[in-house]
Amino acid sequence: MDKRKIEENIFKGLMIFSTFIIFGSIVFILVTIFLKGFPALSFDMITKTPKGGYYLGKEGGILNAILGSIVLGLGATLFAFLISVPIVFYLNLYLKRKSKLAFFIRFSLDVLWGIPSIVYGAFGFVLMVFFGFGASLLAGIITVGFLIIPIMARSMDEVLKMIPQELKEASYALGATKLETAVKVIFKQAMPGILTAVLLGFGRAIGDAAAVLFTAGFTDYLPYSLFKPVATLPLAIFFQLGTPFPEVQERGYASALILTIIILFINISARMLAKKFNKNIVK
Amino acid sequence: MKFKTHISIKDLNVWYEKHQVLNNINIDIPDKKITVIIGPSGCGKTTLLKSFNRLIDLQDGVMVSGQVFVDGENIYDEKIEVTHLRKKMGLLSQRPQVLPMSIYDNVAYSPRIHGLKNKKKLDELVEHELNEAGLWNEVKERLSGPASKLSIGQQQRLCLARGLAADPEIILGDEPTSALDPISAEKIEQRFLDLKNKYTIVLVTHNLRQAKRLADYVIFLYLGNIIEYGKADEIFKNPKYSKTKDYLNGKFIEEHKIDKELNLKGTVCPDNFVKTKVALEELEVGQVLRIIIDYEQAVIEVPKTIEYEGHKVLEVKSINRTDWEIIIEKRNDGEI
Amino acid sequence: MNTRKFKDAIAKKIMFSFCVFILSLAFLIGFILYQKAKPILGVQNLWQLLLSGKWHPTTGQFGMAGFILGTLWVTLIAVFIAVPVSILTSLYLSEYMPKRVKEFTKPVIDLLAGISPVIYGVWGVIAVVPFVRDYLMPFLSENLPFFPFVSDNYTGFCALSGGIVLAIMISPLMVSVMGEVLGAVSFEMRETSLALGATRWQTIKFVVLKKAWPGIIAAIILGISRAFGETIAVLMVAGCSIQEFPKSIFDTAYPLPALIANTYGEMMSIPLYDSSVLLAALILLVVTILFNIIGWGILFKSENE
Repeated sequence: MDKRKIEENIFKGLMIFSTFIIFGSIVFILVTIFLKGFPALSFDMITKTPKGGYYLGKEGGILNAILGSIVLGLGATLFAFLISVPIVFYLNLYLKRKSKLAFFIRFSLDVLWGIPSIVYGAFGFVLMVFFGFGASLLAGIITVGFLIIPIMARSMDEVLKMIPQELKEASYALGATKLETAVKVIFKQAMPGILTAVLLGFGRAIGDAAAVLFTAGFTDYLPYSLFKPVATLPLAIFFQLGTPFPEVQERGYASALILTIIILFINISARMLAKKFNKNIVK
Repeated sequence: MKFKTHISIKDLNVWYEKHQVLNNINIDIPDKKITVIIGPSGCGKTTLLKSFNRLIDLQDGVMVSGQVFVDGENIYDEKIEVTHLRKKMGLLSQRPQVLPMSIYDNVAYSPRIHGLKNKKKLDELVEHELNEAGLWNEVKERLSGPASKLSIGQQQRLCLARGLAADPEIILGDEPTSALDPISAEKIEQRFLDLKNKYTIVLVTHNLRQAKRLADYVIFLYLGNIIEYGKADEIFKNPKYSKTKDYLNGKFIEEHKIDKELNLKGTVCPDNFVKTKVALEELEVGQVLRIIIDYEQAVIEVPKTIEYEGHKVLEVKSINRTDWEIIIEKRNDGEI
Repeated sequence: MNTRKFKDAIAKKIMFSFCVFILSLAFLIGFILYQKAKPILGVQNLWQLLLSGKWHPTTGQFGMAGFILGTLWVTLIAVFIAVPVSILTSLYLSEYMPKRVKEFTKPVIDLLAGISPVIYGVWGVIAVVPFVRDYLMPFLSENLPFFPFVSDNYTGFCALSGGIVLAIMISPLMVSVMGEVLGAVSFEMRETSLALGATRWQTIKFVVLKKAWPGIIAAIILGISRAFGETIAVLMVAGCSIQEFPKSIFDTAYPLPALIANTYGEMMSIPLYDSSVLLAALILLVVTILFNIIGWGILFKSENE
């Protein structure tokens, strides 16, 4: 075997090893969370709110946080959706492919995507203080909404970019305006991609902790008002792990398992939806 | 035919996915002669060429059976060292592919990867090969400049020099002049004529006049089958088979195996567009779709827009006064 | 003008205004944070704040050098682990793996990117911290008793744990960006090199990487900037007590984002405290924006070529 062959095999080995690390780590994470979380998981956890002394090891559950995260996630997703859709349609229908403006909008979306969630959190906090309301569901929704706009808009944009020019032209040729084309043709065409983007955003919204730390606050109650603080699952996990009591920490692991399952579920349904719709769609 | 054989092909079959591209090929390629492969597009010319140096291995979903002997060695033998095999054969592709480095480094690429480090020897080699390719005088002042800045004709000659630097025995050309202007093409042709005493040359070409100018032997390939193979002057003057004759006379040979049919008669704009796209989407690799249409505008517009993701329009023709047919094949997954 | 056209014109205006909003959002965030950071900048010099290691909010000292070094230290460790692993993985995926298997890998990478930072934190606490405490630290500090392996922090909550967790968190981003960059190198280019008798690895080394390196650098820059801003996971595993200067990978580290997250309860109670914390957020914003502009700039540029 000559030297080139040996070098090739060494590097190939390293590559396989690295690939194994990356793909192994996800299995490792999921298995760890499951093994640690499952024993502590109980029916109470997902059906009850924390009673007094829950964080000292007494009775209760984290229904407040589960519901809170879902409500906050839905709100933020809706908020981001309402802002992303017009932007994405403007990019793909009203602007030319090589337009400078389109370039700058995409570029700033990418840059916004890179801003850490803690910075969005701080930004939301300042806005909140400025407008004079405290930590609340609404503040959380807006902050997390800003956080996921770039994610949603960019992935929708990728989908709309793929729509063939001829399809738009076919619609224009029938006398449709750009708006009508957007609503009646493009929206339907891009539906699976848009849904996937929305679900991706939702998954991110539910999982993020740093942005809600300042803005959504925390509470033992179920979410009931836009203007009152709301509990979120990531923070519940964070707090439970931060206590010195092993039984509460174990509940933290169980909560982590719940969050993982929710995020897995969202991710998998996003894929399934995309696949299912793709069959009926004209590329 | 009597000659010294260099490459000998026995029972070669090639499949892409389920589609058979080459069908039981048996030929001997003569040593130090120019052999030209001709045939309509999609008949497997490039596949045949690339099966000589096993570049077809690189494509997903390819299956090969049979044997190819080069210097008496079966290159599909598992023990064969494929990099040495490829070094034996220089390849010129349709569009010149310069590597992202300087002119000098392009030529020195192959000797270097095979272990030549001596600067003086490399210098000599680079100059010699660039001379062989007829490029030395044009580039000697800027050897360290990027190769991508050369004109496309110069790039192709650089690719030739690069291939020669690997010290090959065989030169394979996959329509090497099709992207070039006539003058550059002529320069390349001239190189081939000069080089044929030293190397075995196999060319694929669409250009029949070029084939006549260059070929010692001609292979006529049609839908994966060898129809005719022989001395160039015999085939060009006196083809034995009607298909060869038709092709040489510029007549279209029909006879596509149709897998699916789509009738768009009576449909109008967005609807027929959508139906076509769905049908194309469902077409599997290797299948052929026949679209019937009665809308003249579409006949002009459609072929331009549907050649995507590996689809290729094979034929467009009128059936009768009102109807037209378009025949499309899905070649691959749109990757290549 | 009929109503349909009118509607179209109105919609266009509205969409345009949303676009303007997005274009200005980064500036808006920066402006607002700057407004809030002004009080502390009025009292103390920016360089003094950045270069001083004295952080005693109660006595009005807000030197952030410790946190900045903490950020750099943890990021450095993460990058040191993640960059080679990501490059090798993306090369394996693009150059060796059959297409069918490859299609299956993308969703997995996306999933890895989609897991909540808190989950990474929990995993770090359960798996990484004990591993570092019980195996890595005893082994390394016994066999290599010099910088950067010596420390008297035996808890496992340390810069290395933070770096390992961060490395896993930033890898999916780098692998997917690098994957796209490598995918953009043409098949013919590889074929050409292979046709000249190069092995696959030689083709990668001399041709593919040569063509793709700007994009790979961009991916690394984006990964670094992601590591800078990651908060919760690092907060959970890096120990987060103030260090003057990182002396060991086993020392605790207290990065800037963790500082911001940790002080949210108390920062309104001490004068200038909130201002200095928001200054930290502003610094984070400016740095990540800068990195992202460079990274995406390189990617857009090489895409257009």
